[in-house]
Amino acid sequence: MATTKLRSRSLARRGLTAVSAVALLGILAGCSSAAGSSSTDGAPSGTLNIVVSSADASDAGFRAVNAAFEKKYPNVDVKFSAVPNNNYKAAKSSRLTAGNVDILIAAPTEVPKFVADGSASDDDLSTDAGVFLDLTKQPFMKNFTPSLLKSIAYKGKQYTVPTGVSYYSGVFYNKTMFDKLGLSIPTTWSEFVTLADTLKAQGIAPLGIGGKDSWPAGLTMISAVQGLYPTQADKEALFKGLWTNKVKLTDSKPLEVLDRVQKMYEFGQQNFSGVSYATIPSGFASEQFAMTADGTWDAPTIASAVGSKFEYGYFPIPTSDTAADNATLAGKVDLRLAVAANTKNKTAALAWMSFFSDPKNYATYVKVSGTAPAEPNIASSAFLDSIKGYTSTFSPAWDTIWIANSKAGAAASFPFNYPGIAPLGSGTAQQAAKQSQSDWAAGF
Amino acid sequence: MTESFPFPRRAPMRITFTLGLAVLVIFAIVPAVGVLFIAFTDIRGIVGIPVHWIGLDNFVSFFSAAHLGYNLNAIKNTLIYAIVSTVVGIVLALGIAVLLNQKFRGTNAYRAIVFLPTVLGVTVIGLIWSLIFNPSAGPAASIWKLFGADSAFFGDPHMALGLVIAVQIWAGLGTSVVIFLAGLQAIPEDLYESSSMDGATPWQQLRMVTIPMLAPSITANVLLGIVGSLQSYQLTYVLTGANNPATQLLSLAIFSQGFGGSSASGVSQSQGYAAAISIVQFVIVGVISLVVLQYLRRREARL
Repeated sequence: MATTKLRSRSLARRGLTAVSAVALLGILAGCSSAAGSSSTDGAPSGTLNIVVSSADASDAGFRAVNAAFEKKYPNVDVKFSAVPNNNYKAAKSSRLTAGNVDILIAAPTEVPKFVADGSASDDDLSTDAGVFLDLTKQPFMKNFTPSLLKSIAYKGKQYTVPTGVSYYSGVFYNKTMFDKLGLSIPTTWSEFVTLADTLKAQGIAPLGIGGKDSWPAGLTMISAVQGLYPTQADKEALFKGLWTNKVKLTDSKPLEVLDRVQKMYEFGQQNFSGVSYATIPSGFASEQFAMTADGTWDAPTIASAVGSKFEYGYFPIPTSDTAADNATLAGKVDLRLAVAANTKNKTAALAWMSFFSDPKNYATYVKVSGTAPAEPNIASSAFLDSIKGYTSTFSPAWDTIWIANSKAGAAASFPFNYPGIAPLGSGTAQQAAKQSQSDWAAGF
Repeated sequence: MTESFPFPRRAPMRITFTLGLAVLVIFAIVPAVGVLFIAFTDIRGIVGIPVHWIGLDNFVSFFSAAHLGYNLNAIKNTLIYAIVSTVVGIVLALGIAVLLNQKFRGTNAYRAIVFLPTVLGVTVIGLIWSLIFNPSAGPAASIWKLFGADSAFFGDPHMALGLVIAVQIWAGLGTSVVIFLAGLQAIPEDLYESSSMDGATPWQQLRMVTIPMLAPSITANVLLGIVGSLQSYQLTYVLTGANNPATQLLSLAIFSQGFGGSSASGVSQSQGYAAAISIVQFVIVGVISLVVLQYLRRREARL
């Protein structure tokens, strides 16, 4: 047959084909590996891989800092990637395993003794296992506000650099609309209810909530806890009480939290459980609702959506009937940066951290990203200046203190069961509290 | 063997077969066996965190009182999703295939239109339908308003699963129709001629001639539909997020437990726990597929 004649019977030919096929595969595989190189002498050089979770404002801030850093150290090539929030955990895990990330986001939180084993987060376990560098003795840490550093210390050491502070127990409100209707900022819960009822009577939805993504509705729960448990000591007592089973989620005060949430849902716009968070700024700008429960991280997005259509401001949702309890916004330290211990470019990573922490460059980051500063004496945006009265003391938000029990049921994750209340769920505040208490108790 | 084209010698065949088998083993079999092993550990997925062998703890936790309600809800939703999307999808696909099998102008264009959703990616489909069902301004909301009602669509816990199933059926019609068309074109014409000479109505022809002759295509579609929908989570993830109890599917639970699917997921467990859920899912899918396959094969053989 003609085909067999064309086929070479030479073993050598066949061997050569096989070897070249394998070699080709090897070359293709090699092409995809990262070309990282580390610095040799004191000056930073080589590639620096930074992986953060994405948000428009902070991404812009990081890019500005990276551009300035590359100008100062031309031998360093900064590879910056911003991964969407939902995928960040997976991206972090794969890049740490591959060993090609130098600076990343981590949030280790101290786990008190009364919390059972198995509820520590991945970041806590990673820090214990030495996955992140210990930054306590680094000179650039001195630039940051000491009280903030104290709040993010892990077992007495510093592993992360705070890039900013966000506040989120309040609402953006349409100042122009308030003035037109003769409304003023409420300072107690009953005033807030009256305000919302007045708006509803005018046919305006009082509160805009992005219920489809679930967590924006949780901001109402955060504000409720902030008003009903105002000080850090109150929140920590609640935390300990729940874990030692001295406090039940069906007790009167925890139930009051869910009652507040249910009332705020009633003020939500029509069918808010199907509205996604991404559409809230444009809804606020087109005056579909008068206020929206959101965090100060969204201030730049709200600013660009509203433009100069109307004046807006921010105030804490007063969920307590005592005005003094509602005077402080709850906040958290946002986007804490850590250095991976298996970094191939330690010199450049620490140089970048030092550059970022330098007040000159940090001021640039704060200006571009609009975050509240984590260093003293840094100029903040006009919007943040307007809420200075509410942020003079840093009050950590409930979700930065709470640690959920991995052995408990899903309804006790927050642990206030805000997703269980209609229209997000199918129950009343009472039923949601009962569900979360039984799920919580099942974890012991 | 020695004189046949294209392998006059056995060696090239053996080499290529081994290479193919090696790829399959490395990228499919080894990870599957690996998942079985890590289901018995508390691995977290970050190199450096110590891993412990914890035996059946993950499975006990899956069936524990705390998690059982959530997991049974996920299994219930998965079964509803699989059964409804497969059954309704196949009935619709059969109807459309019978319609498109006839000779009329533009039949190729209609076939292309029916097949188009299969070509779109999951994200595109999710985006399109999220926009359509936007409760404040979408087209669906306008139509609903004509009836004087309004709804939160994907946000409504009673409606969400039904809507997701509808989108899944829409997205999966193309493949089913193509398989049915191929099967229909294999049915000999003289069967229809002889049956109509015996006085059969079109409906009787459908029941007595078309469907029995289509048995292999029905088997293929049912199996593809069931196995696919028992494992699919991409559409639900894009349309309603990773943690909505109304549309929680078992495969979605695996994704959000193993990879922290949402920033508000509350507690995510170790990846060992996610592996344990996937073993449970494997058992469920395996049992259902085998039972359905047995039944359908017997129906095919009866012909």
